[in-house]
Amino acid sequence: MTADAVPLSQPQVYDEEEDPRQHLMLDPRPREEMNSMVMEAMHTTTREYWIVVGVLTFLVVVCLFGAWGYMIATGMGVAGIRRPTMWGIFIANFVFWIGISHSGTFVSAILRVFKAEFRRPFTRAAELMTTFGLAAGVMYPLIHLGRVWVSYWIFPIPNQRQLWPNFHSPLVWDMLAITTYLLSSTIYLYMPLIPDVAMARDRSTGWRYKFYRLLALGWRGTENEWHNLRTGINIFAFAIIPVMFSVHTIVSWDFAVTQTPGWHSTIYGPFFIAGAIFSGVSAVTMILYLIRATMVNMKYFVREEHFDALGKLMLIFSFTWAYFYFNEYLVEWYGGDLAAKTVLKAFTQPPYGWVWYLMLFCNMAVPWLLLWNKRVRRTPWLMFVIGFLINIGMYAERFIIVPTEISTNRFPFQWGDYYPRIELLISIGSISLFLLLYAVASRLIPLIPVWEVQEGQLAHSLKRFGKHEVATKSELE
Amino acid sequence: MAEEGRIHLALFKDVYPATMALDKLRELGIPEKDMTIVSGVPYSDRILGRPKYTTRLPRYSLVGFVGGFILSLLLNWGTPYLYPIHVGGQPIYPIPTTILLTFELSMLGLILFTFLGVLFESDFPSLGPKVYHPEISNGKVAVVFDCPPEIHTRVHESLAALGAEWVHRTEAKQL
Repeated sequence: MTADAVPLSQPQVYDEEEDPRQHLMLDPRPREEMNSMVMEAMHTTTREYWIVVGVLTFLVVVCLFGAWGYMIATGMGVAGIRRPTMWGIFIANFVFWIGISHSGTFVSAILRVFKAEFRRPFTRAAELMTTFGLAAGVMYPLIHLGRVWVSYWIFPIPNQRQLWPNFHSPLVWDMLAITTYLLSSTIYLYMPLIPDVAMARDRSTGWRYKFYRLLALGWRGTENEWHNLRTGINIFAFAIIPVMFSVHTIVSWDFAVTQTPGWHSTIYGPFFIAGAIFSGVSAVTMILYLIRATMVNMKYFVREEHFDALGKLMLIFSFTWAYFYFNEYLVEWYGGDLAAKTVLKAFTQPPYGWVWYLMLFCNMAVPWLLLWNKRVRRTPWLMFVIGFLINIGMYAERFIIVPTEISTNRFPFQWGDYYPRIELLISIGSISLFLLLYAVASRLIPLIPVWEVQEGQLAHSLKRFGKHEVATKSELE
Repeated sequence: MAEEGRIHLALFKDVYPATMALDKLRELGIPEKDMTIVSGVPYSDRILGRPKYTTRLPRYSLVGFVGGFILSLLLNWGTPYLYPIHVGGQPIYPIPTTILLTFELSMLGLILFTFLGVLFESDFPSLGPKVYHPEISNGKVAVVFDCPPEIHTRVHESLAALGAEWVHRTEAKQL
C-alpha cells in the first residue's frame, strides 16, 4: 500500500450497513449538544419512572428490610437452611452479586487498558453495576450470619467474650477482599465522573447545583487536574484488575478449601472468574438495553455496535465458562472418588435436576446457537433476552454449587433437600435494591461519560485509502 | 499565578488556536508557569506544546502500598503473637493465608493513597472562587494567564487575532 492516506475531501455515499456514522466515534456532535442530551436524560422523569421507583422502594422495605428484620426477630428457623444444607441461597445470592460486580471492572478497566474504543459510552453504566452489585452482595454475609449485631467480632480486636478471632480465617479473606474491591470500585466510578459532574454543575440550579458542586470538588479542567486524574485512572485501571481477580478467587476458595465433594477443586478460582465476567457482561447488556429504552437521547450514545461487541464477549466467555465447567466435571468424573461421582449424579436427579439442565441451556445452548449471528447481536431487545437468560443460567449454576452440592455430602445418612423459604423474599428485596439504586442514580449522575466520548470522537476520523474510506484513530494520549 | 487582578482568560473554539496563543504569550514574555490551558477534554503535553509534566502520583501509590503491606504484617504476625490459636497442628503463622491477606491490604493501601494523591495534587476539594468559564465544559478551550498590566492590550489584540472568541481580564468566581 502506498502511504498516501489523504484527509477526506468529499463525502462518500454508503450503504446503510457500511455507513461509518453508525459508529458513535465517527458520528460526532458538538460537545454542547451532547451535554444537553445527557442533562435532559437526567432531568426527564415520567409517571412510569416514579411508579417503578415506588414499587421498588416498597419491595426493598417489605421484602428486604421487613423480611430480614422478621428473621432477626424470630430466628433463623424461618429460613429454609437446616442440616445438612447450612449454606442456602443467601450464599448463592452473595456469589451471584459479587459476580455481577465484575462487569464494571472488566468493561472499564480491562477494556481501558487495551484501549477498546467501544467501551467509551458505557463504562459508567458498568461501573455503577459494580458498586451497586457489591452493595447488594455485601449484605448477604450479614444476612446469613443471623445474629448480625455481633458481626464486629470478625475484627481482630478484643471483645466482651475475650475472643480473639483468627485473622487468617476465610471469613477475614472475604471481608478484606470485598472491602478492598468495594472501595476501589467506588473510587474508580467516582474519579472519571468528576469532569462530568462539573459539567452538570455548570448547567444546574437549586439543590442539584449544590449537589454537583460538592461532587465536582472544584473541578475546572486545568492541565494539572487532567494530568492527575488521568494518571490516577491509569494506576487504578491496572491496580483494580488483580483486585477483581482476587475477590472472586477468594469467594471460590470459600468453597474450594473445604473437603466437600464437588467443592474441593483447584480450578474453582478461574472457573468463578470466568463465570463472574460472563454474568457481569450479560448484565451490562441488559442494563444498556434498559437505559436505551427508557431514557431520552440514549439511542445516540448506546448503539447496535455496542451490543454487537458485548455479544462477542458474551460468546467468548460462554466458551470459557463451559471449558472450565467441563474441565472440572470430567476430572471429578474420571477421578473415581465415590462421593464426587455421587454429587455429579445428583446434578441430573430430582429434585433439582431441572436446574442443572436449565443452566446448560441458558449458559451454553442459548449463546452458542444465537450469538454467532451478527444480526442477533445487533438487535438490542434480543440481546436483553439473551443476557437475562444467561443470568438465569448463572444463578442456576450458583444454586447448584451451594445448596445442591452441600446437601449431597460424604455421609448419605446426612443428606437432605433444601427448600428456600424467607430467603426468596429477601432475594426479591435485594434485586429490588439494586434496581432502585440504579434507577435513582440514573437521574442523579450523568450515565454517559461525555468527556470520554468526546475524547474518542476527537481521536477518530475517516481517511481515504485508494477508493475506500476507512476509520482511523489517532493516539492523543 | 500572581495576584488575581492580573489574571486573564481567553476562550477558543478549538485546541489548535489555543496552542498558538500559548506560543504568542511566550513571545510576549509571559513565562511558562504563568499560563495554563483549561479544557473539557484532556490533551497531552505534546499536543499543547507544553513542557513534559511530571506527576508525583506514583509515589503516593507506592507509599500506600508499603503502608498496607506493613499493616498486614502487623496484623498477620501480631494477632497470633498476642493470642495464639492452636488449630489441629496447623502453624500459628501460616504463610499461604498471610500472602493472601498481605496482598489485599497492600492493594487497599495503594488504592486509597492513589485517590488521596489525586485529591492533594489537584488541590481538591476546593470549593472557593476560581477563574473559570462555563463554556469550557461545552468544549471550548481556555487559556488562563497572568499578564502584566502594561502589555495586556497588546496581548488581547494578539489573541483576538488568533481567533479568541472572548478575551478579558477576569476575576475568580464561585463555581
